[in-house]
Amino acid sequence: MQVTLKIFRFNPETDKKPSYKTYQVEAQPTDRVLDLLEYIKSTIDGTLSFRRSCAHGICGSDAMRINGRNRLACKALVKDLGNRITVEPLLGMRVLKDMIVDMEPFFENYRQVMPYFINDEPPPARERLQSIEERERFDDTTKCILCAACTTSCPSFWANEKYVGPAAIVNAHRFIFDSRDRAGKERLDILNGQFGVYRCHTIFNCTDACPREIQVTKAIGEVKAAIATGKLD
Amino acid sequence: MNRRVSLKEGLKYQGGGPMLSWLLHRISGLAILLFVGLHVISSFFMQQTGSDLATNLNIIYESWIFQILVTFIVIFHALNGLRIAILDIWPRFLVYQREALWLQWFIFIPIYGLTIFILIQRNLSGG
Ligand code: FES
Repeated sequence: MQVTLKIFRFNPETDKKPSYKTYQVEAQPTDRVLDLLEYIKSTIDGTLSFRRSCAHGICGSDAMRINGRNRLACKALVKDLGNRITVEPLLGMRVLKDMIVDMEPFFENYRQVMPYFINDEPPPARERLQSIEERERFDDTTKCILCAACTTSCPSFWANEKYVGPAAIVNAHRFIFDSRDRAGKERLDILNGQFGVYRCHTIFNCTDACPREIQVTKAIGEVKAAIATGKLD
Repeated sequence: MNRRVSLKEGLKYQGGGPMLSWLLHRISGLAILLFVGLHVISSFFMQQTGSDLATNLNIIYESWIFQILVTFIVIFHALNGLRIAILDIWPRFLVYQREALWLQWFIFIPIYGLTIFILIQRNLSGG
């Protein structure tokens, strides 16, 4: 089938303003948008810039807006999108070139919630044991690949990049509800702050955007409830 | 390029029903503020000056077309607020956000339908 791709283009060295370029390509319904972008880059226009690494939905580098909604280019199939496809960079971040955005504010927010295991108690002789139920409690939020699709779909983040955003809260959730971790209270204090969870207005764009199908809004809701009640359950 | 997201660009994001209901919640909230404001202003002028302005405001306010709009906005805002509050208290139900939205419209339609029915009936009978 013939597919018309309308692609956002911006080259900081030559352009004052971004523009859209249209490309006609021959595609299979089972092709992914990433395949089409690769094809354009290798045969039509070598200056087209985008990030990608694994091409299998696990490294999180090719999140972009496809037909007006955040997805991974390597997981978006042509047959689900039709023969007119618009590709744009993520919203709310500085565009460096074409689909490449400056991810630093995103990672800055991520680092704020201390997304690592904290426990200063002396380790037991063998491993720190955890029951199946205790592991299950935070299973959903371990799936995050930090692609930023959720955070950049959130109107609260568009309005202010200091809002830690859904991805940072998901990663905080992963440690707050881990029975072996000991810094849950500190993380909750951080998320109780001015740029924390209360900027979430349950708009739900994040859950829809997540390529890993994490229940992002639910995770945020659980963190809000933990802050409000002081209980982790 | 700077990171600013324009209103137009934001509105173009395909968030679907949940995002639209969030938008409508903000808009209806502001509208309610406006209605209450109008009401206060007209009462104030009515009492202080008895001017035409107050009477005119009241004519608009009490017209049935305006009432149909006001009741839509108030009932939507109340039900949507209720949904948000319930889901905030029991976050595990957030998985059913979409179903909750359907349920909300399911409750909204009969309540609003009845309201319109009563409004029109009263208007036709000159009540
Ligand atoms: S290229 Fe790795 S997630 Fe798409």
